[in-house]
Amino acid sequence: MLRIDRRLLLHFDWFLLLAVLAVVAMSLVNLHSATYVGYPGVSPFVKQMYYYLAGGCVILAIMSVDYHFLLKVNYPLYGIVLVLLVFAIAFGKATAGAQRWINLGFVKLQPSELAKLSIVITLASYYCRKDTGRGFGLGDLVPPAALLLVPVGLIIKQPDLGTALMLVFIFISMTLFVKVRTGTLIFLIIVGLAIAPMAWKYGLKPYQRQRVETLFDPENDPLGTGYHIMQSKIAVGSGRVFGKGYLQGTQVHLDFLPERHTDFAFSVLAEEWGFVGAVVFLSSFFFMVFLGLNVAAVARDKLGVLLAFGVSALLFWQAFVNVAMVLGLLPVVGMPLPLFSYGGSSLLMNLASIGILLSVRMRRFRTGSKG
Amino acid sequence: MSMRPVISRIDQINEAELLILKKRLRLTTIFMLGLALILGVRLWYLQVLKGDEFFKSSENNRIRLHWMNAPRGMIADRLGRPLIANRPYFNVTLAREDAPNPGEMLARLATLLNADVNELLDRIREAEDYPRYVPITLKEDLNWKTLVAVENHLYDLPGIRIDVQASREYLYENLGSHLFGYLGRVNEKEFNDSEGGYHLNDQIGKLGLERIYEKELRGEPGRRYVEVDAQGFEQREVSVLQPLPGADIKLTIDRDLQEVAEEALDGKAGAAVMMEVDSGRVLAMASSPPLELNEFVGGISAKAWKAMQENPMKPFINKPIQGQYPPGSTFKMVVALAGLSEGIINNDTTFFCNGAMRFANRDYHCWKKHGHGTVSLERALAESCDVFFYSVGMKVGVDKLAEYAKSLGLGAPTGVILEHEKSGVIPSTAWKRKRYGQPWHEGETMSVSIGQGYDSTTPLQICEMTSALVNGGIRYRPQLVEEIVDSGGKVVKTFEPIVDGHAMGSVKSMAFIRAGMVAAVNTQHGTSTIAKMPNIIVGAKTGTAQVVKVEQYKHLKEKDIPYNYRDHAWFTCFAPAEKPEIAITVLVEHGLHGATGAGPVARKLLDYYFKEIRPRKTTEKDHAAN
Repeated sequence: MLRIDRRLLLHFDWFLLLAVLAVVAMSLVNLHSATYVGYPGVSPFVKQMYYYLAGGCVILAIMSVDYHFLLKVNYPLYGIVLVLLVFAIAFGKATAGAQRWINLGFVKLQPSELAKLSIVITLASYYCRKDTGRGFGLGDLVPPAALLLVPVGLIIKQPDLGTALMLVFIFISMTLFVKVRTGTLIFLIIVGLAIAPMAWKYGLKPYQRQRVETLFDPENDPLGTGYHIMQSKIAVGSGRVFGKGYLQGTQVHLDFLPERHTDFAFSVLAEEWGFVGAVVFLSSFFFMVFLGLNVAAVARDKLGVLLAFGVSALLFWQAFVNVAMVLGLLPVVGMPLPLFSYGGSSLLMNLASIGILLSVRMRRFRTGSKG
Repeated sequence: MSMRPVISRIDQINEAELLILKKRLRLTTIFMLGLALILGVRLWYLQVLKGDEFFKSSENNRIRLHWMNAPRGMIADRLGRPLIANRPYFNVTLAREDAPNPGEMLARLATLLNADVNELLDRIREAEDYPRYVPITLKEDLNWKTLVAVENHLYDLPGIRIDVQASREYLYENLGSHLFGYLGRVNEKEFNDSEGGYHLNDQIGKLGLERIYEKELRGEPGRRYVEVDAQGFEQREVSVLQPLPGADIKLTIDRDLQEVAEEALDGKAGAAVMMEVDSGRVLAMASSPPLELNEFVGGISAKAWKAMQENPMKPFINKPIQGQYPPGSTFKMVVALAGLSEGIINNDTTFFCNGAMRFANRDYHCWKKHGHGTVSLERALAESCDVFFYSVGMKVGVDKLAEYAKSLGLGAPTGVILEHEKSGVIPSTAWKRKRYGQPWHEGETMSVSIGQGYDSTTPLQICEMTSALVNGGIRYRPQLVEEIVDSGGKVVKTFEPIVDGHAMGSVKSMAFIRAGMVAAVNTQHGTSTIAKMPNIIVGAKTGTAQVVKVEQYKHLKEKDIPYNYRDHAWFTCFAPAEKPEIAITVLVEHGLHGATGAGPVARKLLDYYFKEIRPRKTTEKDHAAN
């Protein structure tokens, strides 16, 4: 029989759960508006409900296990994700020219989403085992960098630049968090600045370069990517202070907005609910991230701190990049808004992240006598 | 490995390091807050500072993207005569946004359309949940007179628009309906599988060649970016990417022969196939009753669908490839080929038929009550003597019979390009053990020898068999498509005859069988005299496929047997005998007798071919030679 330790419940983070539920509720309300007309068969709304239910089960499952279990399975997990990534490239289904999906029959799996959480777990476990007190030197950075670059390489091959960059963001956040020696850091920044122009010229595909260029001059390309940015900005801006009203967004419903239920879901919200609605949403979301960081602050050991920090950073960076893209601050890359955009793989992965936060938080008490 | 040692090792890490990490969290939080603030400021800038400006541009948002579907490819016959083309299709739509007071307006519209106003209101009610700016289709496919009337009154009908849409035009009504299939709106699976290749109201091939060659026929949609005003009216075209029209498909089918076949089958349920024996090209392939193709244009109504589903003649079954019937006496050619080739009989072997053959205490009857007397192979085929083939079949044995039947293409799909082809059944001892878990009974070989019992075949298989028997044993795959021609007139793909295998048995045996089939047409007591033509020598074989055991209805006159229990009628033939060009197979469901039920259909095809097509073909060849 499963006996629930009373202390587990005592330390359950009800505020975090409430913040997540708030984001989820807003997501569903918004998804209904973005998709209630025009999709044959089972609507994305209903599918998303199923994903949320499945995600709830995932949270429960993760919460019920001590997160130290991850120390035992982190490398097998990492290995499985690599295999799935290879599989996606070899046999995956192409969407808009990228091999991102593995079709499991009942559901299409997007391994690059799993890779995001997997890199958090892998790095947390790795840094947890290392003595990081004195800070990392150049040589110390080689193994974790290798752990990063294998999945990044596979994801770039798909190609999915957004997700690849997200992994790099997570790596930089977590590595800086455990401390890099000042000298090493300065050295790396200089090297980075030196190779950036090269990467710009040779590393990016022409369409990717073009996306960055149109960011600074969207009117130059009103029919291509510039069209998306322009229409998204018009959608957000035309919401003004109080929005056009629920289901009344003309940008959404007259088909001006691309990907309106996935990557551009936030612009639907901003158009229909205005500045007020957008701020309420972003506040809820970043409050949720703040609670995640708080879990790190009260965690009982280094693994807990690293996991909670990594997961919070993951939620934060995804949201930041997505919203900045929708608002025309960053180039258009494939990046869903966590817990908000339509899409099963992303949703399940992000709900699993929440599960890890709750798990760390519930086990903040010490085993044994120490308070 | 237990978790204990790991945890205890972690516990040893000093508290100080943990504290430093946690202190760093504060810095991180401030950093993230800063970034979040940037988003907030940007929102403020877009929505509050520039809000009015953006609102205005959303009000008269300029550039809108319209998809333009490419004109779908045509389907043409052997000589390039179009069978299916496209035509514009005019629908009346209502944009509720622009119709503030629709009641009176709809009454006026209903008069113009000559429709019941309630019908229009129902359409609006169905679409109630849609946003107001999504147009509702009120009436599809206006005729010219109504179209002109509505156009002339548009000023008086706020919110009403005429919407043009291309759709299929069937130039010969239901001609070839089972070959072509039909189009329908994309469903969820097709929509998702296409990964954005299709839009919501797009048409997609659902059945037949329209489905198989969807990609070729469809072409590539074009895009139009247009500037519109606040009411959604087009002001200016910004840029256009023209659609790439679909490719045309040229069939091996001859329009005229197809017409003759379908007319001859009119009112009956059945199939007729005509094939070139030296290439496998199908000149006609008819299934009756046809699909009502025009019902599918613009979406078939539930009523029409149900009517077709419930029609006892089963129009949804493409009978040449999906109808499975016992081959009846047409199977006797297989028995003859096996007997001759296995050395069990030769061309002079005779058997005595006294009207029945006794086996295991049971009488197996010949169709001729008083018997045929002494019969040789030629007469046995000509007069379809059952006793002769019982005797040969029993000596050959069911497994050998099955081998020969399969080598002639029976019991397996022919591989014709159409989907959902059935295979039929050619029984053997192994088959029965597997299927029923029972041993084979010798008596069953008797039934099988005259094509009854477990035997079942499709009309196309019988046609392929006939063709192989007269061309020296080569089994050509039935071919329906000659070539695919792109919109620029360039041939993108040519289909060549495919040989799927060779019949077992000697060419000499096949010559004897052909002689038997010629005798069936040209001797006094032959069963197939209906196919006797003045200048051309035809060879043929009739067949009767038992639907139920005859005994029960033996005492009834034929016309008193209920339709559903009447036997199916087969007729398969080839011509000209000296150098066969074509094979024709006809099956008429519940047609009772091969000669009278199916024979006349084959006869009409023979007449037409030799009177109209063949002379034309020779001139075609002359042209080609020149």
